Amino acid sequence: MSAHDASVRVVRAGEAARPNGWWGMAIFVASEATLFGTLVGTYLYLRGQAHHWPPAGVPRPALLAPLGLTTLLVLTALPLVLAAGWARQAKRGPAWRALGLATVLQIGYLGLQLHELSTQIAQFSPRASSYASMYFTLLVVAHLHVLVGVALNLWLLARLARGLTRYRVVGLRATVFYWLAVDVITVVVVAVQLSPRL
Amino acid sequence: MAVAVPPPERLDRLERVWLPRPGVLGWLTTVDHKRIGLLYFWTTLVFFGAGGVEALLLRTQLARADAHLVGPETFDQLLTMHGVTMIFFFIIPMTTGAFGNYLLPLMIGARDMAFPRLNALSYWIFLGAGLFLYSSMFVHAAPNAGWFDYVPLALRQYDRGLNVDYYALALIFVGISSTMGALNLIVTTFRLRAPGMSMNRMPLFCFAQLAAALALVFALPALTADCIFLELQRKAGFHFFDVAHGGDPLLWQHLFWIFGHPEVYIIVLPAFGIATSIIPTFARRRMIAFPLVAMAELLVAFIGFGVWAHHMFSTGLSTATLVFFAAASMMVVIPSTIQVFAWLFTVNIGTPVFRAPLLFIGGFIAFFVLGGLSGIMFAAIPFDQALTDTYFVVAHFHFIIFGAAVFPIFGGMYYWFPKVTGRMYHERIAQASFWVTFAGTMLTFFPMHIVGLLGMTRRVYTYEPGLGWDVYNLLETVGGFVLAIGLLMIFANLAWSGLRGAPAGPDPFYGGTLEWTIPSPPPHYNFALIPTVTSPYPNWDSRERLADREAFARGVGVLDAGHETPVSTVADGMLDDVATMPAESGWPPLLAVAVTVGFGLLLTSHYATACASFALAVLCLVAWHAHEPEES
Repeated sequence: MSAHDASVRVVRAGEAARPNGWWGMAIFVASEATLFGTLVGTYLYLRGQAHHWPPAGVPRPALLAPLGLTTLLVLTALPLVLAAGWARQAKRGPAWRALGLATVLQIGYLGLQLHELSTQIAQFSPRASSYASMYFTLLVVAHLHVLVGVALNLWLLARLARGLTRYRVVGLRATVFYWLAVDVITVVVVAVQLSPRL
Repeated sequence: MAVAVPPPERLDRLERVWLPRPGVLGWLTTVDHKRIGLLYFWTTLVFFGAGGVEALLLRTQLARADAHLVGPETFDQLLTMHGVTMIFFFIIPMTTGAFGNYLLPLMIGARDMAFPRLNALSYWIFLGAGLFLYSSMFVHAAPNAGWFDYVPLALRQYDRGLNVDYYALALIFVGISSTMGALNLIVTTFRLRAPGMSMNRMPLFCFAQLAAALALVFALPALTADCIFLELQRKAGFHFFDVAHGGDPLLWQHLFWIFGHPEVYIIVLPAFGIATSIIPTFARRRMIAFPLVAMAELLVAFIGFGVWAHHMFSTGLSTATLVFFAAASMMVVIPSTIQVFAWLFTVNIGTPVFRAPLLFIGGFIAFFVLGGLSGIMFAAIPFDQALTDTYFVVAHFHFIIFGAAVFPIFGGMYYWFPKVTGRMYHERIAQASFWVTFAGTMLTFFPMHIVGLLGMTRRVYTYEPGLGWDVYNLLETVGGFVLAIGLLMIFANLAWSGLRGAPAGPDPFYGGTLEWTIPSPPPHYNFALIPTVTSPYPNWDSRERLADREAFARGVGVLDAGHETPVSTVADGMLDDVATMPAESGWPPLLAVAVTVGFGLLLTSHYATACASFALAVLCLVAWHAHEPEES
């Protein structure tokens, strides 16, 4: 395939409104959103059965760190959307840099969240009550989704460093869609996490 | 309908481009939807055999009172394995994995599924999950708490072995495969339809597959979450289901049935799809009320999400909740009845030829109506509370998930056998096999209504004499063996015909959908020419097929530059793009091996090594994606 053909195909991938890879990611995200719907529903169900939520002796969740970190994660949507746009226009350099910036911020988010989590586990064990079990399960599953997103970004950064292809552009678009969904899910998870403060 | 005879050099080129690797390696690395469909077919048949032997052992044990062929623990394991096997390792993978995989691309005019390597992975993961589950039998720790595994019985303090861990991990494991398969089916029906095949021209078989796949995607997460909760409680000491620490045992039931009831429709919807393929062919006319039937298929899947608590009418839920779910359950009657009348009127208005596939569909309609009628009875709350956990329930759901869901599978096996093998089955033996199977099914499951009304509860491993149950149980067991003979007749017929059957030609039944426009068995590339579709029964549109042949001669729409297939817009089926499909890959089976080992290590609580195994799976994934389809 000549360089001209390659760039034509990249731009065509960018032009296609919704490539198959995007649809695949959309269905995957729908499945994951349902998983979170189940987790959130379970949290609310168990809360509805409880007299005290959180139970006596368990600290109420702190506000500042979760809200600040979630804001940071949601802000990474901006460079990601820009990266997808630039990739669709076959602008590899700006796309790579925007994706790199988002990845650095997301790794920072994940590191701080894991630090928060280890601090909280030291305060109350997930084996202590249904509240603690549900609280940590919800957060760990949310963080796992961020970890998967970071892994996707790192793979894309490695691939984009070697050039743009139609396959990689579709991959980037699907990954950005995944991140947008993770952002929304994280907002919901944080709202549930902080709900005892409301 | 004559098949296009295109210029040989074009066919040679297509043959070269799509030719698979020879031998076993070709099967291990295949991404061809037809080969994957066949792999699913043979594997699910083995599981069907295992589930069938388990059922016969159960029936032999129950043939007479006070029998001790197997003890209570073995009975529990056989009972649980029978249910789990038939639902998760036979019906779903047979209908979506085998029938869906093999037929859906052929019916929509595509050359493969939307994600061929993912398709291969979903098969290998399915195989790994099945082997994982059945390894439990070799260590005498098969799941033993019933197919819906209620807590608190399934908690560690009451079930201390690995039995329930096998159950929970196997269902999470096979759920990965089902989700991947469903995702692939959805995107394939959305995007890979031949130009001109707008949504309203898509065959009803594909609507049914789409509805089942959508239901799978949205139902499975509830089961996965439930099983994760159970494992966290059993292995890590978390609390979700025990009241002492703020949990609730009913939570298991809610989540299980949020999955479990849509599951019934996931099982039966593809059967509807098979019926709506066979009926028009043998009634010699299009399905009447085509749009209504398509809508009804989707509506059944949708309503199925709002009825789960009708499995919990005797658990002490509030009356308002019970009434809501009873009303919602009644609603399922509407789309179901639309379909039943559409099937019956199509046969009635057409000129039916009662060959074996249509006979099996006739059996399916009979069982669906019988099972549906007893289903409506259960929507009446007092009736349900009186008969819950009796054999009446067992009779009801076997009429639905064996009579209604599996009979069309047998009909479909006969119907598409000539397409897959290029040979005809033996018609007289096929018709005889129907009657034996029908009689066996009726004899096995109908008396269960009566023993249920007489008070026999399900899951008992034996019973006392003199309760009035003996003769019915004996009849059921005799029926079970008659049914087994009928099934053996079906498979013997197909096996013999596969070797010695008369050549079938491309279109022995004059079917209406696209798979009948191509040779039997289909070539590796499926369609030499990508057809242009103008109706849901394109093989009956002779003018359009003639235009296809002329277009082929001019070289339009051949797509022989590589592994190419057209991509269409979702609603209107307008040509949108040409996708390059990936070639064979060894990574999906390797990845599945790593995941299987990972689940084995999770079972035995070797968490660090399990993580290492899953890390290897991720490395397989990286290696897999290093090879991009356009480089093929």
